[in-house]
Amino acid sequence: MVQAVPQSHIRNFSIIAHIDHGKSTLADRIIQECGAVSERQMSAQVMDTMEIEKERGITIKAQSVRLDYIKNGEPYILNLIDTPGHVDFSYEVSRSLASSDGALLIVDAAQGVEAQTIANVYIALENDLELLPVVNKIDLPAADPDRVLTEVEEAIGLDCTEHNLVSAKTGKGVSELIDAIVDRIPAPAGDETAPTRALIYDSWFDNYLGALALVRVFDGSITRGQKVKVMGTNEEHPVLDLMYPHPIAPVKTPEIRTGEIGIVVMGLKTVDGLKVGDTVTDARIPTAEPIPGFEPAKPFVFAGLYPIETDKFEELRDALNKLRLNDSALAFEPESSLALGSGFRAGFLGMLHMEVVKERLEREFGLDLIATAPTVVYEVLKTDGERIEIQNPSELPEPQKIDTIFEPYVKATILTPNDYVGNLIKLLNDRRGVQVKMDYLNANRVLLEYDIPMNEIVMDFYDKLKSTTRGYASFDYEPTGFRPGKLVKLDIRVAGEVVDALSIIVPESKARTRGLAFVQQLKELIPRQLFEVAIQASIGNTIIARSNVKSMGKNVTAKCYGGDITRKRKLLEKQKAGKKRMKSIGKVQVPQEAFMAVLKIDG
Amino acid sequence: MLVYIHIPYCDSRCHYCAFNSCVGRFDTRPQYLAVLHRQLTYDLEHTGATLNSVETLFIGGGTPSTVPPELYAPIFETLAPWLTPDAEITVEANPNSATRDWLSGMQSLGVTRVSFGVQSFDADKLRRLGRAHTPRHAIEAIETAHDIGVEHLSLDLIYNVSGDTRELLERDIEQAFALPIDHLSAYELTIESGTPFAATPDIRQNDDALAFFVAESITARGFAHYEISNFGRYQSRHNLGYWELRPYLGIGAGAVGFDGTVRTYPPADIDTYLTDPLRQRTEPLTPDDLRTERIFLGLRSRIGVDAAILTPKQKHRAVMLTEEGKLQEEKGHYFNPNFFLADEIALFLMG
Ligand SMILES: Nc1nc2c(ncn2[C@@H]2O[C@H](COP(=O)(O)OP(=O)(O)OP(=O)(O)O)[C@@H](O)[C@H]2O)c(=O)[nH]1
Ligand code: SF4
Ligand SMILES: [Mg+2]
Repeated sequence: MVQAVPQSHIRNFSIIAHIDHGKSTLADRIIQECGAVSERQMSAQVMDTMEIEKERGITIKAQSVRLDYIKNGEPYILNLIDTPGHVDFSYEVSRSLASSDGALLIVDAAQGVEAQTIANVYIALENDLELLPVVNKIDLPAADPDRVLTEVEEAIGLDCTEHNLVSAKTGKGVSELIDAIVDRIPAPAGDETAPTRALIYDSWFDNYLGALALVRVFDGSITRGQKVKVMGTNEEHPVLDLMYPHPIAPVKTPEIRTGEIGIVVMGLKTVDGLKVGDTVTDARIPTAEPIPGFEPAKPFVFAGLYPIETDKFEELRDALNKLRLNDSALAFEPESSLALGSGFRAGFLGMLHMEVVKERLEREFGLDLIATAPTVVYEVLKTDGERIEIQNPSELPEPQKIDTIFEPYVKATILTPNDYVGNLIKLLNDRRGVQVKMDYLNANRVLLEYDIPMNEIVMDFYDKLKSTTRGYASFDYEPTGFRPGKLVKLDIRVAGEVVDALSIIVPESKARTRGLAFVQQLKELIPRQLFEVAIQASIGNTIIARSNVKSMGKNVTAKCYGGDITRKRKLLEKQKAGKKRMKSIGKVQVPQEAFMAVLKIDG
Repeated sequence: MLVYIHIPYCDSRCHYCAFNSCVGRFDTRPQYLAVLHRQLTYDLEHTGATLNSVETLFIGGGTPSTVPPELYAPIFETLAPWLTPDAEITVEANPNSATRDWLSGMQSLGVTRVSFGVQSFDADKLRRLGRAHTPRHAIEAIETAHDIGVEHLSLDLIYNVSGDTRELLERDIEQAFALPIDHLSAYELTIESGTPFAATPDIRQNDDALAFFVAESITARGFAHYEISNFGRYQSRHNLGYWELRPYLGIGAGAVGFDGTVRTYPPADIDTYLTDPLRQRTEPLTPDDLRTERIFLGLRSRIGVDAAILTPKQKHRAVMLTEEGKLQEEKGHYFNPNFFLADEIALFLMG
């Protein structure tokens, strides 16, 4: 039963950490400790509801739950938000923290402070939040809580005198942690009599209920039947229903009170009118000031998405529209390619986000897609004074019309064991990085800060970093703005024709080596066909690298008599279906992987 | 109309073989031939064959030379009125069981063509293939067949078995041409699942150049290359019939029949066949299926593809291939000048 609890007994908090430090597992233990989910309904990382989250064991979308907790005979409400740790989804952390009064900072007892630990702490500090240091995985043989706490104090400057040691795996320390949450996270202190003032910190689409807003009520309350106004759009809507989020299924309520979180049903057909960061107020007596929102999620990486079968364009559009209902960070607009036909230029938060979106489109919507090489956004000042934004290398104006190309830079933070510093510095230099800072957190852990062009780190850098440091380094980045760069467009010609979908923008100094490597890579990926296929890399009309895929010599089976014909036909049909997954460019068949091949080349 | 008869017996098992045949069930031969006779009689009467219309008969296996001529006699007797006067009547034989008696017995029943499973004239290679005969057997059997006056003689060779060299194959081909044959089949080794070789797939060597070498070496000696694996001064009308998608009766365990639109499959298991030879599975073919078959069969042989059967898209591709020299067009047909690319071209045309 839903019972009214005074603000003093409500705690709103997020769980933040570096990826895989155990946020979702700890959330499981807290949920169980509060008895919100029966043994039978419990599963590992119960808040990770998407199939792809379960499969990959990572959190992609922040999730909220409301939990009842009794302490010293008194009822408390714990509103918990589990956040993702991966750098691509740090936007999820921002919006979660904007609706919280405090956060648990989880640090893995064996791994210690990592790049996203620091990045997420900064987001929390910007929001002025109370942080509880929690060392997790103390059950591990390699656990070293004292070292980890010292690291937190030194790297982050967070006072760790009061801290919690837990094992989300065994449950050790979890009930003490909940006590600490109640004791140390500030209670909300909203004005209960003021006009409604609530922050939309998530919105999504439900097939039955329509667009839903997840809100944190800062002042006043929201009641069923109330007429509310969304301040950003200035539109008024009746409140049809209200619910509290619960790990298994939402629980209906007639009212969401001051300091609480809840889901508002307004019967809207699209989520467009329920922008995350917007304020909901009363339609008749509106609040004077909206809650300071936050920057909408901004895509950094752009790539073309094309259906392999050209008649699936509309299906792809529908699928993207549906995905966007639950993923406001996904941006897309139609584009067309000479090579690939009609598709979309889509913007992503990073490579993992792109991978996830592509996989969901293929799996949940049964589409076969080609993703083209991802690129960052460039700004181009043309000789006629116009300044344009480029999300696709093939949009780059002709060289004589370009005055300056500006490329985005980031501040990259890397935490690494001492042993790998030398190799890392070399990698970062190769990537045009300039060192800003190198701090020893302790004898063995080093924090590197680099100023570096974004296009050097968003694509394959993460894999490179992991292989250079055997997985021990972690990395975070944050955009710092645009600066002029000496860049050129590198085109790939297959059988003499420029394939627009394969063009990339590269630093002039690296064009030749990249061109060679790219051509080599494509040579490996494009299978032999009936005709010899020439592959060339060019800048403008100058060919800078070339190679050939030799024509196929032989493809036939030895025997085919009366009894073999059906079997042979079926075999050919199967092979044909395999070839369908390739894209025909003129008479050449190019496999899907070729369009992402640029990610696999060094330099 | 063509007729195929399947004899599922062998006296030993070759390591590469996936044919429907068994070793050591010789006791069932008389019964098998009797049941087979029953199916033949039934099929002749129920599949629209007319008297004097069966142009070719092919007895294959397995090893047809493991069955004595007497047991074939009723079949030939029944078939006689259905055969055209110049029918091509082929029987397959293995060198070790094709004795003079057997060969002359078969000839007197009406056999006009014997196809010998020779595979190689290299004793070591024969052993590795698990063949039961020696090079000597093969030479003698073919000479005997010629001696008693069988009109057309053919032999099979296998290549791209690991260890095959140009020299070895050249010797095999030379020996073949020293014999009185007018036809030769040269098969590249295929590893079939379920065979002993499937466990040692490296026994297959991937030397594409050797395939071209074999074909050139045979055609240089005057045999026409009329299908990917078939060469001859005489071209088997039965084989060509398959590739032209002519109707055929499939008689025997594991045989396959075809009436122009439907394939029929009698039971493949001998015991099931013996109890119920008429319980056939059928496979109707759609016009698309038939078009696909005409395309790939035409491309792997000298038959070619009739432009009229192609869809506009396929036609467009055929024209493109012709411009590239990958196909040749003549009187509304597309011909493939390089059979070794047949599947790739078929896939390209099927698009
Ligand atoms: N030994 C041990 N393993 C733990 C503990 N807590 C979590 N894990 C394991 O650590 C891995 C990551 O746990 P998650 O809870 O998914 O981590 P997360 O922080 O939610 O990860 P992201 O959401 O992807 O950032 C899983 O394999 C957990 O089983 C712990 O206390 N002890
Ligand atoms: S003789 Fe022919 S059918 Fe019998 S096992 Fe050998 S290859 Fe197979
Ligand atoms: Mg998680």
